[in-house]
Formats: sequence, structure tokens, C-alpha cells
Amino acid sequence: MIQEFEGKTEKEAIDKAVKELSLDQEEFDVEIVEAPKKGGLFRKGMVKIRVHVNEESAEPEGRQEEDDDEEEEPARPSRPARRGGARRAAREPLSPESDVEKEIVAFIEGVIAKMGYSGKVAIQSRSEGKLAIGIDSEHSSILIGKKGKNLDALQLLANVYAGKIDRGRLRIVVDTEGYRSRREDSLVRLARQMAEQVRRNRGSRLLEPMNPFERRLIHTTLNGLEDIDTKSEGEGLYKQVRVIYRGPSAPKQGY
Amino acid sequence: MLDEKSEERTVEKDLVEFIAKSLVDDPSGVQVNMIEGEKSTILELKVSQDDVGKVIGKHGRIAKAVRTILSASATKTGKRVVLEILD
Repeated sequence: MIQEFEGKTEKEAIDKAVKELSLDQEEFDVEIVEAPKKGGLFRKGMVKIRVHVNEESAEPEGRQEEDDDEEEEPARPSRPARRGGARRAAREPLSPESDVEKEIVAFIEGVIAKMGYSGKVAIQSRSEGKLAIGIDSEHSSILIGKKGKNLDALQLLANVYAGKIDRGRLRIVVDTEGYRSRREDSLVRLARQMAEQVRRNRGSRLLEPMNPFERRLIHTTLNGLEDIDTKSEGEGLYKQVRVIYRGPSAPKQGY
Repeated sequence: MLDEKSEERTVEKDLVEFIAKSLVDDPSGVQVNMIEGEKSTILELKVSQDDVGKVIGKHGRIAKAVRTILSASATKTGKRVVLEILD
């Protein structure tokens, strides 16, 4: 579940969320959507936050410490921060644990080598049903390809291969040089910009063609916004998402 | 010079063979024939009857991915490599 709250400060917005959802602060993730522009002419500065409530209330690892962190210093610097955005930080590669993991790493390494490029393949993170694999290569721009085309192809093959050797529906995400998280971040930003725009114009906007994963990211980003609707248009793998304003005809201003 | 070129093309043949063998149930049934033309190379991939779907995929998704990987590999040499899947 995703909901948005606003306050003069991040603390106030969070307090509002705590009160309204009657939850402990530890029970949800906070993402800052809009931070006050500092030093601006209008120091009205409302902070808009988006609250992600974990429905299973299962605490993912590593979240706890971030929340602790926050209690110590409630007035965090107002840069737009993404909670749980640690995936972006470079992590120590993990070594393959199971035979399945070893085989998947070997497969990706094999494909890259047979393509005639060099690259080191390592496991970046593993969570239930998902394995994130990183490629460290001097040829990473070729491995990514136009709009991530080559990386997507490699990822698809890795997933087909994983499906063959392990029936447990393991999802493989292949990334290099943080391309996917960079692309994800920019898509989330784009989605929010488009939402703001259609809200202002009370109209709709058609985005560029995207693959299913990218489209889903747009849908889920805007899912929690009651006055915004998203729809996929077109045929085939690369459909286009339309962002539509569905709110009351009077534009919602702040609070 | 000629030797070097055909070596490069063997790389692509190996690549298709490697991927196909990884994806099928019967790796011994995988066969890749290389037909060299002047500007392009045609790779003919043959797999066991039951494995054809495994290298093509729904709506040809796997075949498309293999072709994408193949052309990413071929950009090194500037050669055009065409993959044909025989059934």
C-alpha cells in the first residue's frame, strides 16, 4: 500500500502518516517525493512523502538500521532521499552458494566470453526468488546496448537458463555499472514529472514505448495517487503507458 | 587476414552453440552450420525436434534474444550475422 502525506518538515509529514495509519514508524518505508527547495524565494517548503506500508509486516533485512538512523536525527537533510535505496550503493560481491547459482554465473560468463568480450560476473544480492547479478566489464557499454537492449537479451537468456536448471522460478536480474538502477531511478522521476504535468493540465500524456518491467515501474510508482490513472496502449512487448488525470476538475493544491 | 576473419566467425558459431546447448534438454542434438557469404554469415541452428521450442520461445522471444546477443558480438567485426533456426 502506498500513500502520500505532506508536512512543513519531513518529521511533520511522517508524524501525520503515523497518526493517520495508526502504525509505528518502524512499520513503513518513507520515500521523499518533494523536498522543500532550500533558499528559494518562497520558503513555504512543503515536504511531500510517500509511505510504503509493508503488508506482510515482514521486516526486510537492513531496513531496521535505516529506521533507527532516522529516529536519531529526525531532521534529515532535505535532499530527496530514497529510503531503501541502498541497492544503488556498491556492495561487496557475494560468492555463489548453491550449484544453481554457480551454473547461472558460469552461463552468463560463458555467453560474454563467447561474444568475444571480457567481463567478471558476480552475485550482487539475493533475496527470496530473486538473484541480482552484476557484470564488471570494460565492454559494458556494448553489453548494455541501445536502451539496454543487449542487457535485456542477456537477462532473458539467463532467466530461461535458470528456469531450466532450477524449477523454483528464480528471477534473475542482470546489471552492469548500475545501469538498471539508474534507469529505474530516471523512470520513477519521469513518472512523477508526468503525473505533476497531467495534474496541472488535467489531461493525459503518452510515454515512449517501454518493456513490461519498465511499464510496471511506471504503473506502481503512480499507483498510490488517487487522481492519476495509468494505462498501457498498443500491441506487443513494447507498449506505451498513458498517464491520465482523473481527479476533480479543480486542481488539488497542496493540502 | 583471411584466417583471422574466419576465426572471428567461428566465435559467433561457438556463441550460438554455447547458448543453444545451455537451453536445450538434448545438447548432443545441437548443430550449427556456418555459411559464409561475402558480407554476411548465415548460421543455421539445428536442434532436436523436442527442443525447437526451447530455442525459439513464446512469440520467438528466445530466438530474438539470441539474435540480439549475436549482433552485439558481431559489432566487433562489422560483419552481419544471420541466425536461422531450422525445424
